[in-house]
Amino acid sequence: MSSVNLATENDRELLRRYHEHGDAAAREALVERHLPLVRSLARRYAGRGESLEDIEQVGAIGLIKAIDRYELSREVALTTYATPNVVGEIKRHFRDKGWAIRVPRALQELNGKMGPTIERLTAKLGRSPSIAEIAAEFETTTEQVLEALEAGSAYAPLSLSAPPAGEDELDPMETIGTEDVEYERTDDRTSLEPALAALPEREREILRMRFEEGLTQTQIAERVGISQMHVSRLIRRSLERMRSQLG
Amino acid sequence: MPSDRIELIAPTGQAWEAVIRMVLGGIADRLDLGFDQLDDLQLAVERLLAEGDPENPVTLSFEIHEKGVRTRIGPLRDAALAEALQGPEPPPGELTLPRILSTVVDSYGVEEAKDGKLVVRLEKLVQTQ
Repeated sequence: MSSVNLATENDRELLRRYHEHGDAAAREALVERHLPLVRSLARRYAGRGESLEDIEQVGAIGLIKAIDRYELSREVALTTYATPNVVGEIKRHFRDKGWAIRVPRALQELNGKMGPTIERLTAKLGRSPSIAEIAAEFETTTEQVLEALEAGSAYAPLSLSAPPAGEDELDPMETIGTEDVEYERTDDRTSLEPALAALPEREREILRMRFEEGLTQTQIAERVGISQMHVSRLIRRSLERMRSQLG
Repeated sequence: MPSDRIELIAPTGQAWEAVIRMVLGGIADRLDLGFDQLDDLQLAVERLLAEGDPENPVTLSFEIHEKGVRTRIGPLRDAALAEALQGPEPPPGELTLPRILSTVVDSYGVEEAKDGKLVVRLEKLVQTQ
């Protein structure tokens, strides 16, 4: 096998060599060949407090996992299969590291407590609490509360699209590389309807509850069993995704 | 009570939306708006900012009065948007910008439309508890 010029073999042949014959050189050749893809994906996550080199290394782990998990029966190109794996690995890395951009620890901690506190105050008051009421609960200033709320967008920002810990959901980045349906662009940018069908079922349902049934975020949170802040994030993210699909 | 007024001229684009959300947060605090009302207002403003001209800044004005806040955003880019916002209510089940706005603010309207540009007015009232 070693006499074969691996550089000229196509991906599928190299995958077959690796999976059927345990040819480690074929695996190495695949990794080398697809490192430019990793570098390209890693660049999207640059400037978030991690060196590009580190992100590339994390992405490379995703690539190796994709090569190892690839099933020869799949009728899909390795690049298509690897892309969500690489992105997923990078996202997990950021998620584990916590904050995507530098946010003071005190604000991180305050933000972390914000969701449960808002839930508790909403139940206690029978309505959504004001900023001052939230501040009083934390014995802090309203400015700190607003900063902590805003800092929440530094954690799992839209472009990184990581869901809050413990709340499982579909992720737009995980759809990269899969066969997406092409949605027609529309000149009527005020209508988001054509992109609605592309959303995961739960997000469609949340939008329906909010904009058709007219339920409040708190009511939706109760019905779906997630926090109000998460409902808010999902609504924003869904609308943003729909808009970007319409271009 | 005479209304207080805040005016911002901001570049269009997500990079500056955090600044605008913070301003809205400060206004919500002054008005004692609930967290969900603040979130709704922020969402309405964000949706309209997405209709701004990426090449030109947008002006946001906030008039704070005892019953709520009146927000004006413009210039926004196309006449089609004006037609959509001034047209009839979209049918049930159709998700459009007018439907989003009518859900998250108390009222909205197109205040000025010339040279193909427009200014949209949003009214968010303090909910009596």
